[in-house]
Amino acid sequence: MKKTVYIIACLLMVFFTAVAKAQVKNPETFVLADYRTVQTIDPATSYDVAGSMRIWNLYETLIFFDGSSTEKYVALLAAEVPSVKNGGISADGRTYTFKIRKGVKFHEGGELTAEDVVYSFKRNMIVDQDGGPMWMLLEALTGSGATRDKDGKIIDGIFDIIDKSVEAQGDKVILHLPKPYPPLMSILCYTASSVLDKEWAISKGCWDGYIKNAAKYNNPAPGHEPLQKIENGTGPFKMKLWEPAKQFVFERFDDYWGPKPKIKTGIVKYVKEWSTRKLMLQNGDADRVVVDTPYVPEVRAMKGLTLYEVPQLGYTAAMFCRSINPAGNPNIGSGKLDGNGIPPDFFTDINVRKAFLHVFDRETYKKDVFNDLVIMPTSPNVKGLPYHKEVPFYEFDLEKAAEYMKKAWSGKVWEKGFKMIITHNTGNEMREAAAHMLAENIMSLNPKFQIDVRNVEWKDYVVKIRDFQYPLFLSGWGADYADPHNFVYPFMHSNGYYGRFMALKNDEIDKLCDAGIETADPAKRKTIYAKLQDIWYEDAIGVPLYQQIVVRAYRDYVHGFVPNAMFTDDNEILKRIYKK
Amino acid sequence: MLAFITRRFLLLIFVLFGVSVLLFGILMTFSPERRAATYVTSPQQAKDIPKIIKQFGLDDPFYIQYFRWMKEVLKGNMGWSLVASRPVGEAFWNYFPVTLEMNLFAAPIVIIFGIWLGTLSGIHRDTWIDHTTRILAIVGWSLPTFLFALVLLMIFYGYFQLFSPGVLSDQLTMFIIENPESFTRFTGMYTIDGLLNGRFDITLNALAHLVLPVSTYVIVVVALNMRVMRSGMIEELSKDYVMTAQAKGADKKTIYIKHARRNALLPVVTVAGQLVALSMEGSIAVEVVYSRHGIGWWLAESAVQLDMPVLMCICLFMGVVFVITNLTLDILYAYIDPRIRLN
Repeated sequence: MKKTVYIIACLLMVFFTAVAKAQVKNPETFVLADYRTVQTIDPATSYDVAGSMRIWNLYETLIFFDGSSTEKYVALLAAEVPSVKNGGISADGRTYTFKIRKGVKFHEGGELTAEDVVYSFKRNMIVDQDGGPMWMLLEALTGSGATRDKDGKIIDGIFDIIDKSVEAQGDKVILHLPKPYPPLMSILCYTASSVLDKEWAISKGCWDGYIKNAAKYNNPAPGHEPLQKIENGTGPFKMKLWEPAKQFVFERFDDYWGPKPKIKTGIVKYVKEWSTRKLMLQNGDADRVVVDTPYVPEVRAMKGLTLYEVPQLGYTAAMFCRSINPAGNPNIGSGKLDGNGIPPDFFTDINVRKAFLHVFDRETYKKDVFNDLVIMPTSPNVKGLPYHKEVPFYEFDLEKAAEYMKKAWSGKVWEKGFKMIITHNTGNEMREAAAHMLAENIMSLNPKFQIDVRNVEWKDYVVKIRDFQYPLFLSGWGADYADPHNFVYPFMHSNGYYGRFMALKNDEIDKLCDAGIETADPAKRKTIYAKLQDIWYEDAIGVPLYQQIVVRAYRDYVHGFVPNAMFTDDNEILKRIYKK
Repeated sequence: MLAFITRRFLLLIFVLFGVSVLLFGILMTFSPERRAATYVTSPQQAKDIPKIIKQFGLDDPFYIQYFRWMKEVLKGNMGWSLVASRPVGEAFWNYFPVTLEMNLFAAPIVIIFGIWLGTLSGIHRDTWIDHTTRILAIVGWSLPTFLFALVLLMIFYGYFQLFSPGVLSDQLTMFIIENPESFTRFTGMYTIDGLLNGRFDITLNALAHLVLPVSTYVIVVVALNMRVMRSGMIEELSKDYVMTAQAKGADKKTIYIKHARRNALLPVVTVAGQLVALSMEGSIAVEVVYSRHGIGWWLAESAVQLDMPVLMCICLFMGVVFVITNLTLDILYAYIDPRIRLN
């Protein structure tokens, strides 16, 4: 009997512990539940959205985006934002001068100097890990997007160029560019431009400050970079704890130079399952959760939330490969235009491409797949980017599509029919819907047209795109920085990431892309990017699918969020957040 | 006995070698590009795939890659886990206690409850008790764990606001972070560490976080044990020695418990042993839904992302677990049934 009473008492205690817990809400703590993991918090190697969120709160850059703007900046570690007008940017656009803010302290007590900034820029560029973010700064400051060639060998003299690209003069930092690079200001807001404490970094095993030794610190294997799990930034928050793939805990930095953040503790929890995240938000155990598009109606139905709709600087398209790899490729059937496959150069005929563009029903897609919560783009230079313009698009018209198909390959396509496979990456329901829409509408034109839709795990998908295996692939791109070059080049240039795997070769496009990045004159750039956007339409390069709008779901007592198209829903600038 | 145990441990070396070669061979069937893509999370990074192949020698012959890996393992370096963002060894000791803690509570319940229910069902064959337990067992076994876990979570956490996911409340987690000197992580299991540190509130809180995961696991898994026990009991109760005992006037309790149940336990011990061994790789559904990051979650994520060092590590670990489990079972057989000798 005694045992039974004891057991019941214990069970009741467990029960009431749980009840008591459910009622406690801490007003000075902000909890975000996310499902993406952080690989590293080293600014030189972190290149994912979850890592960026951590770094933006721990470290600081010279300048940062001004509120919601992606083109205006505020000074952080710089005393003021340089411009041609105030002499901070030279008239030829090749020299940038930053006066460094005084009285800024690092988390471990060191004081910020111009030398720290110079060291940080050089060190980050020297690290240049494979798959890392440093190509941006390298391209701007050295003219070369990497420190190694295609075979992985260090490019002769690259470290000397890095050494000369940044210098300190008193309390000023001067950046020397080989040629004008208009997106530089936006790149300087990115985490890869974060500032470290020189002495501290060297003491932790980072580059020793001598350029002759730079090669030793180049391209460390993942996890072997000294700053992978430690930090000492000037940001408003310090890292209190990082349990990878479990939680990341921020603690307010009381010696922060700027206004004191209202939140004392920030916790980012890794919660993979949506239902669990949703219940945490509902019960107030999370102040915000990451919501994927299919779950937006669920959060709309919940009470006690504030929702923000934030358009993203991202672009997804269905792209035609004009030189498909025929070797053992099941995606093109027989590899011939015999009714059982398609030839490797099937999409070189613009009539085929235009037919595919005309079968994409933008309105239905927008309504059925996104509940109207999406921007339907017309070219890679999406809304929110400089020099964006609405170019014409191919209306949904099955008759026109049939006309183009009848013309394609001198009528052979219509006569013999074809068979191919459209692939999309597993788990992306938006792309899956687009693939099915394209396939079904094309098949409705002629019973001899046969298209299968298959899904492939994302990493396999990437590998096969690179092997030119897919005749039509659906993929996207998120902004590294807010400039058309970051979108137009990858999608249209013959050496751009997607341009290359679409086997797109158009000298005019290549010249325009190169000219667009080499001039700082806004009028000239406007003309160039307008032309490129027109070419995207005229040459029917791909099917623009969507520019996503993410929904952020906060508890209604959380305030301070400022939307910015550059930041994905994984990001949170904690210093702005408060609970009331 | 000692010779027997030594022999089995020597066998372990060959088992581990075989497992590692087999698994390494399977993983090598993925192209170097696919393995390099493990390091890629965005299209922007994909341009560096050829360089990653060169850097890690992913296009080297199988045996070179295998021996390179083996050399590192012998030095104690199991590699780097991209999923866990830390060395595999360190990550293992971080995730394993979470899985072990749940098993420490779930396994005894599964075994004891399964034996009890099976015995009851076997003794009362074809009565309402038997039918009820069998139906419950079938329902439990047939329920998709993921769905069942979600239903429990929605009822208890979503509706009643009880038993939140995770392993410990935020307040207590923050207390531990802020007072590292006053709370030592001896085992990595909060229920036990709470007791060892004299912090019963932490133990109780950790127990509250275990209620739903353990319940889910027990309800889903207990059916198998119960069914085996029931079959064993029915078989034993139909044997001649039971009739003899009854003829000699032995009471029912002695017949059921002392004779029949003891003999029916042998197959149950085998099944329970395998269940416990299997549970060491965690329950993916339970860990994902209840946000407990243990071995099951880690293994599932690593399999999806082709995190090779993790897959190798967990497979080797499971090899060790199964060899030790089988050894323990053999010893237990001898204890339960003295006719069995460990030759």
